[in-house]
Amino acid sequence: MSLLLMAPALLLLLAVFFWPMLDYAWLSLQAQTVFTGLKPVPVGLANWERLLGDGRFWQDAAQTLRFAVVSVGLELLLGLAIALLLHQSWRGRGLVRSLSLLPWALPTTVMALGWRWILNDPNGPINGVMQSLGLPSLPFLASTQLAWLGVVLADTWKTTPFVALLLLAGLQMIPTDLYEAFALEGGRPWQGLRRITLPLLRPYVLIALIFRLAQALGVFDLVAVLTGGGPASSTETLALYAYLNAMRFLDFGYSATVMLGMFVLLLASALLLVLAQQRWQGARP
Amino acid sequence: MSSSPLRQRPALLRISMVALLLLWSLAPMLWQLYTSLRTPESLLAGLAGLGGGWTLANYSAVLQADPPFGVYLLNSTVVGALSTLLTLALAIPCAYALSRRSDLLKLVIGGGLLAAAVFPYVLLFLALLQVARQLGLANNLLALCLPYAGLSLPLAVLLLQAAFADLPVELEENALLEGFSLGQRLRWILLPLIGPAVVSTGLLVFLFSWNEFPIALTWLSRSELLTLAPAMARIAGSSVFTVPHGAFAAATVLGGVPLLALLLIFQRQIVAGLTQGAIKG
Amino acid sequence: MINTIASGAGPTGDLRLEALNRRIAGRQILAGIDLAVAPGECLALLGPSGCGKSTILRLIAGLDRPDGGRILLAGRDITALPPGRRQVAMVFQSYALYPHLSVERNLLLGMELRGVPRQQRQQEADRVLSMLQLESFRSRRPSELSGGQRQRVALARALLRRPQVFLLDEPMSNLDAQLREELRPQLRAILCGGEAPVIYVTHDQQEAMGIADRIAVLQNGRLQQCGTPQELYTNPANVVVASFIGRPQINLLDRGDGSLLGIRPEHLQAVEDGGVAVRVLSREWHGASQQLTVASPHGDLRWTTSGAEPINDQLRLGWQLQHELRFDLATGLRC
Repeated sequence: MSLLLMAPALLLLLAVFFWPMLDYAWLSLQAQTVFTGLKPVPVGLANWERLLGDGRFWQDAAQTLRFAVVSVGLELLLGLAIALLLHQSWRGRGLVRSLSLLPWALPTTVMALGWRWILNDPNGPINGVMQSLGLPSLPFLASTQLAWLGVVLADTWKTTPFVALLLLAGLQMIPTDLYEAFALEGGRPWQGLRRITLPLLRPYVLIALIFRLAQALGVFDLVAVLTGGGPASSTETLALYAYLNAMRFLDFGYSATVMLGMFVLLLASALLLVLAQQRWQGARP
Repeated sequence: MSSSPLRQRPALLRISMVALLLLWSLAPMLWQLYTSLRTPESLLAGLAGLGGGWTLANYSAVLQADPPFGVYLLNSTVVGALSTLLTLALAIPCAYALSRRSDLLKLVIGGGLLAAAVFPYVLLFLALLQVARQLGLANNLLALCLPYAGLSLPLAVLLLQAAFADLPVELEENALLEGFSLGQRLRWILLPLIGPAVVSTGLLVFLFSWNEFPIALTWLSRSELLTLAPAMARIAGSSVFTVPHGAFAAATVLGGVPLLALLLIFQRQIVAGLTQGAIKG
Repeated sequence: MINTIASGAGPTGDLRLEALNRRIAGRQILAGIDLAVAPGECLALLGPSGCGKSTILRLIAGLDRPDGGRILLAGRDITALPPGRRQVAMVFQSYALYPHLSVERNLLLGMELRGVPRQQRQQEADRVLSMLQLESFRSRRPSELSGGQRQRVALARALLRRPQVFLLDEPMSNLDAQLREELRPQLRAILCGGEAPVIYVTHDQQEAMGIADRIAVLQNGRLQQCGTPQELYTNPANVVVASFIGRPQINLLDRGDGSLLGIRPEHLQAVEDGGVAVRVLSREWHGASQQLTVASPHGDLRWTTSGAEPINDQLRLGWQLQHELRFDLATGLRC
């Protein structure tokens, strides 16, 4: 009976999450392009061989990783600062907390359009401020060196509130007695942060890390609208590359291969993270 | 003087931090608002032309475009509402059943749900697109609810399962003894008691479907069917305007206002939902 | 003063438990329990935590399934019936009142879902509300009630069902001592003596002695003895029962011949000569009585005597032979 209650949900879940992986596994062994009349033709491991030697794939992988690490790192730092600020009780805290969630609530593509203008050279406000300070304006989105920073900025802006809220939840779980006892023994606030807060926040930091890292490695929406992957593919991410292969190059077999490759890289990162976490837990007393 | 300078300093520090936080959170959107009300010439003139150059033309351009902007908001609302209902309809029984178990199956399913919740779903777009094409589900707003519900289920089931588990067992046991059927127990006892969790979960699902991009992008091609997210992308790629930034900004504001309203109205529930997710995770 | 008796409707009969077994996670929670409770009889299940008494209650209610044995109600085998079909009402330790409903709705909901007509529902609810003096609370939520009031609502809800068995799981444990003493006779008056058997779980032997017609003492899933309070007090079947019944606990002295001598603190008397020489170690004076701990050649003894009795540091204690209880050292059984 209990299984009957769970069945519809589980079936939909299997259809949406599990079946695509099987489909991709099969598709990656086919060639389905304009040249095959958009019909799948078995080609063995050709797609996979191509993947291993595909410079663009590995370049994108590196770019995606760089973006994810920097973005998530910034989010954790900023998120922690915000969480600490919101943890104290002061008047208007609830409203400020909700307002600070606005970036997260806005659809990515909606704000991405806005960021194009904000980062615009030379008329956007950021460059406006820089010019009034006597600094040269920077071509954020037009420069192959700087464009990825624009993406990091936009992504950090959007998802920091989420991280902050997660860490805030963790802060609220720490009993205040611990701080009081610590203060009685002569501990200073900054030490309290290091000795009590951070260790007890660790599980929440980990959750935030895992969640955000997985999402950041699959970033698509932001890049598609903000830069389109440009200039010159400097902000192209793996997800975008997979999308282009399917929707623009109409190379479905290869697109599936790229996505499976992404999946493998994701699993590998997750494994590394788990191992790193074990070492970290084990090393400290 | 009631407080010493030493005590005033932390307060001052805090106020400036809060101001910084608000600036950081709201400035981009406020800038869009400003931009949307400016004529194209004044935008290019920078801060020099602040006196004049205000206009509502950008809004009328966007609202009267083909199709009018309101259509996108309507589509997103419809898809959002239906997805939320479908997700809850599937998640509630599943979460209930899961919360009453304590065997290996529960661990396996729980672990699977957690993995699915973390998974970057954009990877699924191709397979789902193929399904859509084969089953003729493309360009169908109702059909879009199916993948949306599927993608929202992991988080929904986990949140609701925790909510069910938090209820004292004896409440349901007494209801059992009184002879209530499962439907009666859910309707009169269990669901009312986890009401806040249902609302929070529903809001998170609703927000997700407004935000969702890759699947809507690939499933919908007819412009009058687009939801907000792909519509913005299409606007971003359009070259109708010579200096598009004003119109883009107007679109951004129009796209953002409904969600800002939702956020402010339901702030408690949304925050509660996210916080619960964190704690149970 | 509450003095109406719960009346059952329809045929009620006795409750029989035959050879009940229950095993959870490798541990034998219940081993071969046999009990019979007559209609209107109040049986207390008494024992320390983990003895299986709550499990028995849950098995009767149908919230748990036995691994072996049968449960018979009025001659009907209900062992396989789902809880909703057994016509059993239970008052939980936490009372399990629906927190989002008013007191009145808590009472009405069950009848409404069973299809009882509206007028009759209201009549019944009003009847029990007045019986338990809850009328002024009918619109309140459980969170606005005191512990004692909540207990009465839970009782009211159970009474409305006119069940074939009443089950109560430590219903007084959340109340303070004074309230417990006040409510004991009231509870007994409402429930016992009606037409349905009543099973009352408690770990408090005073409560059991005060409320029940018979007491079943349990330990480690086994029934130690079942009988009236007097029987258990004067004729305990083994050491477990003797130790559990009677406050303070019975004194057990090793005779050295493979048997134990049990003598209750209240049966010790100060004597001029004979008996045992003892030295007072501690003394608690409680007005009408006083409890002392004394050191003797056989070990420390507990002694209860009248509050008016003068106590010297050193004295002699004796007892009447008829109050002696002998137990086998190895098996604990009475010999």
